[in-house]
Amino acid sequence: MLKQYSRFRGSLIPGLLVSVFLLILAFAIFFTLFDATGANKSTFLTLSPRVIGLLKFTIFQATLSTILSIIIGIILAWSLAHQSRFFARSLLIALFSSSLVLPTIIVVFGLITILGRNGWLNHLSLYLFNHTFEGFLYGLSGILIAHVYLNASYAARALLHSFEAIPKQRYKLAKSLGFSVFKRFILIEWPAIKQSVLSIASVVFLLTFTSFAIVLILGGNPSYNTLEVAIYEAVKLDFDISLALELAFLQLGISVILVFFSSNLKTNISNVKMQSLFIPWAEPLFVRFLQITIIFVSCVFFILPLIAIVFDGINADFIRILKSTIFIKSFSTSVIIASISSIITVVFTLFLSNARRNFALKSRISQSKVGKIIEFMISFSGSLYLAIPSLVLGLGFFLLSQKFIAPHLFWASFALLSANVLMSLPFSISVIYPSMLKTATRYDKLCFSLNISGFKRWIYCEWPFLKESIGYAIALSFCLSLGDLGIISLFGNQDFSTLPWYLYGLMGSYQNNDAAGVALILLGLTLSVFIFVPKIFAKENFVKG
Amino acid sequence: MLKIILGAILLLGSLFAKETLTIYTYDSFAASWGPAPLIKKAFEKKYNCNLKFVATDSAIGAFRKVQLEGKNTKADIVLGLDTNTAELARKSGLFAKHHADTSKLDLPIKWNDDTFVPFDYSYFAFVYDSNKLKNPPSSFDELANMPKNFKIIIEDPRSSTPGLGLLLWIKATYKDKAYEYWKKLAPHILTITKGWSEAYNLFLKGEADMVLSYTTSPAYHIIEEKKYNYKTANFKAGHYAGIEIAGMLKSSKHKKLAGEFLDFMLTQQFANIIPTTNWSYPVIKLKKGLPKGFDSIYVPSKMILMDGKTVEKNRKIYINEWLRALAK
Repeated sequence: MLKQYSRFRGSLIPGLLVSVFLLILAFAIFFTLFDATGANKSTFLTLSPRVIGLLKFTIFQATLSTILSIIIGIILAWSLAHQSRFFARSLLIALFSSSLVLPTIIVVFGLITILGRNGWLNHLSLYLFNHTFEGFLYGLSGILIAHVYLNASYAARALLHSFEAIPKQRYKLAKSLGFSVFKRFILIEWPAIKQSVLSIASVVFLLTFTSFAIVLILGGNPSYNTLEVAIYEAVKLDFDISLALELAFLQLGISVILVFFSSNLKTNISNVKMQSLFIPWAEPLFVRFLQITIIFVSCVFFILPLIAIVFDGINADFIRILKSTIFIKSFSTSVIIASISSIITVVFTLFLSNARRNFALKSRISQSKVGKIIEFMISFSGSLYLAIPSLVLGLGFFLLSQKFIAPHLFWASFALLSANVLMSLPFSISVIYPSMLKTATRYDKLCFSLNISGFKRWIYCEWPFLKESIGYAIALSFCLSLGDLGIISLFGNQDFSTLPWYLYGLMGSYQNNDAAGVALILLGLTLSVFIFVPKIFAKENFVKG
Repeated sequence: MLKIILGAILLLGSLFAKETLTIYTYDSFAASWGPAPLIKKAFEKKYNCNLKFVATDSAIGAFRKVQLEGKNTKADIVLGLDTNTAELARKSGLFAKHHADTSKLDLPIKWNDDTFVPFDYSYFAFVYDSNKLKNPPSSFDELANMPKNFKIIIEDPRSSTPGLGLLLWIKATYKDKAYEYWKKLAPHILTITKGWSEAYNLFLKGEADMVLSYTTSPAYHIIEEKKYNYKTANFKAGHYAGIEIAGMLKSSKHKKLAGEFLDFMLTQQFANIIPTTNWSYPVIKLKKGLPKGFDSIYVPSKMILMDGKTVEKNRKIYINEWLRALAK
């Protein structure tokens, strides 16, 4: 057994180091927080009825949001997969992924412009039917709509990948056997996407489980709060760090079960797209009509709020905004932090995935208990941070910065970078790991027999197949880091500010015109990164010919 | 010999190096369009020193930051808490007594706090758009009896100063009937936001008929935007006041300068900056009067203010009552 391990030490050691580093960091943060709570540790886990109520609601809304997001995501991905050629399709797909990574507050205001009480929909309906829907966007329905808006588009984008990876031959077979569309979905498509659905569902569940800004602005009622809100209350208002920690652990406990469940899922490698799918025969007319309708309706639902952001921001005084030194400072800080963290994220992802795939392939390291534990540790360390409330994370970093004195700039950058990397790792891994598993199954035999390893193997076998995923992962983590608002609130000051922080400051002092302008700039930046970065990577070749 | 030279250099250095005073405050106070830059300029010139503002997401956040930093804190002053959170801060024992002369204060109440010095104030009020709303409510009862589709946006008392202000305002008005009142008001609450900025921006987008803000909010629209349609619903029984305060920390290494800053807050120079940057009233009478625009906004005839100690003792109870009343 040891022999097997030492044979793959080149890929095992870096990944294990990263994994151990992540776990130690998590441990350090929690330890510092525990340390800070001091003597009153006795009250451990006394759940008040209110916390139980919040927990119930949190699980309820997260489950509902996840189910809705996944259903809509599947329907949309299915339609897009079968309508592979139409105008601006790739732009549409890029737009779908961008809603998840924009600062939530911008997206929510976009949604309000469209669906709010004074929104376009209500105005249209008043004009056409003399009827308004009033404030349906506030309350449980609002929370669900916003969560579906953010997560269904992400699910659709990720599932589209799985749909497109279904071998064309299977569709041919289905056609020749005369399967109905429904039968085709059940027998061919569902088995192929099932595993992705489960892993995406667990990410969506975690995202909605820890939702904060949306439940506060659209929930409309304190009963519709999440545990994350209770944590905020404990930290900010009562300064009861031990209570905050208890709640964070409760949240973490539930998430760990989920992470455990989802990381135990075998990654289905047949899901990895190797070539673009084009089905040469047309769908039945009715189905085509249905698919086009679905795409059109989703376009309206997903893109209108983004258009609303443009619409709200277009009248801003851009010259004044661009001239202001704080804008320039926050813009450059944001871009620098996001660039560095996206690169670190992808490097960490590559190390972690490279180590993890050793255990997933029988041809590499045979199944054993030790192997299972190591594999779990690696996958767990990568997705652990989805479950840690950003407020707790920020507080932990802040207390660490108090223990180990260093210049403010160092700690501020370290905290921001770490938080961003930790936050985007799960997404980046979900993009890159399946591709790496696939290249390993494909080229392991060839590489081992020709003794191609290390850098050479990377250039000839991995890069050509990974570059697209890497480009997408970089874009994703770049934008996720750009939109972060959680950590900065403890570390920001006038010398160290990010774009969302600046935006929030503008909103907080009647400067809503400038705020709308900055939101538009952020949207533009996010979209261009999403459209151009993957393209640049897709073209990049180390080996010519 | 070397020691003497080094000592001399250090001494000379400290003679020429300017002292730096650090103030923790909330973000919009420290923003480039807020009062901070003008105050910094004036104070630095007057006392030949450096003044540094450090912004956090809220005043309470600034105070929590000092608590977290403990003895190592660089802060000399925490600025921006209000009378409702003063006791919370005083209890921490981190604040030193002030020496400012508060006799010249021009507040609707008598000030006898020996730790905190006020620097501006305003009243909480509901702001509406007079182009859309013709008959605003003039009392809490009228508000609760508005038509069913009349909606207001308020802030969460757990995370926002105006939110806590409204909670206390209603508590002071209805005493042990506050629970029933909140139940009656609940159908009119469109949503409850984390902070003032989300609430006010939702209101400006036309999402609700009224928003919980300040009586001085319309002054912004009048002076900066020349818009006269934003007004406050004036409650005859009086409005709850938000008096913002600053205090000097015991751990400060620049106590003299910190004391001078607290004095400076009560000068004409400081007071003149406040109205059009922090959109509130200064705490002393302005020699040249308030800026034009402030004369056309409503000044409540009666100020409501709960005693700080009562607030601190009962805040949790009031908040729980509020949570129960609104629970679904």
